[in-house]
Amino acid sequence: MEKSCEQIEKLLVDYADGELSPSESSDVAEHLSKCEACRRTVVALQRSLDLAGIVWADGLEEIKGVGLPRTSGVSRFKWRRYAAAVAGILVVAAISIVCVTRTTPKQAEPTFAEIERQIDESGRAARLLAAAEMLADCPSAKSIVKQQYRYIAETYPRTPAAAQAKLRIR
Amino acid sequence: MSETNREVAGAGDRAGGRSSQSVLFEIYITELDRLRRIAAGMGLGAADAEDALQDVSLKALRRGPKCKSRDEAVRWLTKVTVNRCLMHHRREKRFTRSTAEIIKRRTENALEQTGTDAKAIAAEELEVVRQSLSELEDTLLTTVVLRYFVGLNSTEIGQILELSASAVRTRLREGRMILARKLTERGIEL
Repeated sequence: MEKSCEQIEKLLVDYADGELSPSESSDVAEHLSKCEACRRTVVALQRSLDLAGIVWADGLEEIKGVGLPRTSGVSRFKWRRYAAAVAGILVVAAISIVCVTRTTPKQAEPTFAEIERQIDESGRAARLLAAAEMLADCPSAKSIVKQQYRYIAETYPRTPAAAQAKLRIR
Repeated sequence: MSETNREVAGAGDRAGGRSSQSVLFEIYITELDRLRRIAAGMGLGAADAEDALQDVSLKALRRGPKCKSRDEAVRWLTKVTVNRCLMHHRREKRFTRSTAEIIKRRTENALEQTGTDAKAIAAEELEVVRQSLSELEDTLLTTVVLRYFVGLNSTEIGQILELSASAVRTRLREGRMILARKLTERGIEL
């Protein structure tokens, strides 16, 4: 007995994926040769999957390179909170120092932007160092770890983490 | 047990106490592309994917279970990544990159169709599918992504999501039909 559109529709995804038995597949093919509506559904199934593939591939392009071990256990948002607290303390300390030294002859005082940059760099370097040290236990990650130390030492040379990284390289 | 699985189990035995997490972490590194695909398929942007995958890597390093085989380790990593990405997807319910950005990137890469009309149709279709993916129920999106973007079969997906292969196929059918219907409902020329 010939199947209805409703019955065929249930098989269309499996048909498009090649998951039907030969006899079911030929039933569907026969129905499709006569039914334009179901043919349109098959085309839509394929088209929507192609377009989904474009969306996914684009997303993948955007995130290529993410997920490599670079950070410590503190997530981005928590880390920002801690960084903000540390930055706040350092800014207050910097203001105090500026006030105290105001009366003394002027030397090359660091600007707030420089202080902020140094805090940011120190934080980044420390996170990278923490991740590298965590990885150091994995035998297969030795080269990654070494690269990581070098990267820290070269990219953030004026930070305490860079000094540690240099020691580890030796 | 396959050769690779024996290697994983053997590495774990040899390395003693730290082994299960370290071995799992090494597998995380080798499977990173698959895990990135999951994140991209679930619509995470770069920053959120970075957060999600860092969480997975740390979980593997600190609390990863002792897996008997490489396959089991990969399944665990996939499952943890899916759950982590789902948390984000449930909150955001969107794909970060807009259709215009996708089209622009494709134009730059000279991969898109030519002709103004063809471009307009493609953009409209792409927006419909992008929107439909955002609105797709979590369970359906997960199965569709694992099947068609990560390339797993129904049995493998079932092992990860703790479902039967037939339940996976049911979800795939439902998800695919929703995407197809949204495309036809908009009266898009096929």
